Amino acid sequence: MENVEKKIREEAKKLLADKKVDVVVGYERGTLPLTATPVFITEPDDADKLVYDATCVQNLAKYVHDILSAHKEAQKKVKPEDRKKKVVGVVARGCATRSIVIHLQERQYGREDVVILGVPCNGYIDPKKMGIALAGEEALDGSIAGDSITVKTSAGDKKFSLNDVLADNCLTCRFNNPVISDIMAGENAPAKAADKEYEKVEAFEKLSTDERWAYFTKEMSKCIRCYACRNACPSCYCKICFVEQTMPQFVGLSADQTDTQIFQLLRTFHMVGRCVDCGSCISVCPMGVDLRNFLKKLDKDALELFENRAGAKMEDVPPLSTYKEHDWEEFIYNP
Amino acid sequence: MAEVNATDGWEPKIIAIVCNWCTYAGADLAGISRIQYPPNVRIVRLPCTGRINPFYVMKALQEGADGVLVSGCHPGECHYLTGNYHARRKFAMLKRYLSYVGLEEDRANFTWCSASEGERFAKVIKGVTEKVRALGPAKKFVKTL
Repeated sequence: MENVEKKIREEAKKLLADKKVDVVVGYERGTLPLTATPVFITEPDDADKLVYDATCVQNLAKYVHDILSAHKEAQKKVKPEDRKKKVVGVVARGCATRSIVIHLQERQYGREDVVILGVPCNGYIDPKKMGIALAGEEALDGSIAGDSITVKTSAGDKKFSLNDVLADNCLTCRFNNPVISDIMAGENAPAKAADKEYEKVEAFEKLSTDERWAYFTKEMSKCIRCYACRNACPSCYCKICFVEQTMPQFVGLSADQTDTQIFQLLRTFHMVGRCVDCGSCISVCPMGVDLRNFLKKLDKDALELFENRAGAKMEDVPPLSTYKEHDWEEFIYNP
Repeated sequence: MAEVNATDGWEPKIIAIVCNWCTYAGADLAGISRIQYPPNVRIVRLPCTGRINPFYVMKALQEGADGVLVSGCHPGECHYLTGNYHARRKFAMLKRYLSYVGLEEDRANFTWCSASEGERFAKVIKGVTEKVRALGPAKKFVKTL
């Protein structure tokens, strides 16, 4: 991973110095041990801040969209002849590039507005799993070497395998290498156990209706509707979200359980053919709601019914904006 | 939803979201031809099934509908050429998703019914009403506050 980091820094520096990009979105060391946080680099000298390893969690495609759409808005107030272009460089692994593909397919910005610094990815650490592995101890320092991770706590050093603390979506990731990139930093990473990606969904499908509903209500009762999942999701970019919409009001403001449930149902349903399983929503969720179980079902259905994997290929058409004459229609009621 | 809790004399309440060009005209024909069908259905007319936001179905269920029926032109007969093809994809996903989270499968229903099929419209309403009646009042996903 050191080589990847070195290459990212070099390339970012070069891009900024040559004025090929206005900003590079990447990760820098976080303030707590074993964390990284998004950073926006505009000066070539700052490029040395960039890091890339298993502590980089968030999907950076979100910021690409934020920056470019804010810029587009701002340019509306400028005379047409004075308008400037903004190009964003982004450090992107597999899931982030898929999100960018989705943005491009949905015509959110042009391919020339973004320079993709592709990085191979071996998965990121799920802070919640880490908390469990440390059994409540606070991490004071830590280091990652190859497949193992050493964490210093007040109760002594703890060493465990990286696989034990990787996020669920990373363990079964199918696209851990960028699907599109302008510059590739490092060799492609080895494949993950992608054949097991729907294992949990298949097990859940086998439960009875009431068991499934019980699980759904249990998970959703944790939700405090902070909307962090929506804010972190790269596919959630509507200027006015249905949550804030009042005409009609889809999500009521009461403390009724169904208001929370309908928020989650509607948000997840917006992810048909758009969820890249990057795990951003899950990682920011303060209550640990199991959103993946439900998002993955939509992913599985889109694959089964429409042979679509979200953002896998530039040439793909989003599954709900196209059709085939003989699409699956067994669900149609025929008296 | 006063009648929801009283099982005696309870009648299912079904929201039918239908397209203007086929099913609505089909319902009209059923009326003109004096074909009897259960009065449990409330019809909402929209321009096309492609215009029907899947959110409407979920919202109707949350607001106390015991069942929802979405109906439009047969595939290939859409007034706007492809609206129902797009709708079919959306509702295929929706139907599977709702039953995945644990709602009863028969609460959300989808069918096609053309303007000349007054008879079929009555049959659909009868069928859906019976299916929903068999399930009983909606309890799982109903807003009570």
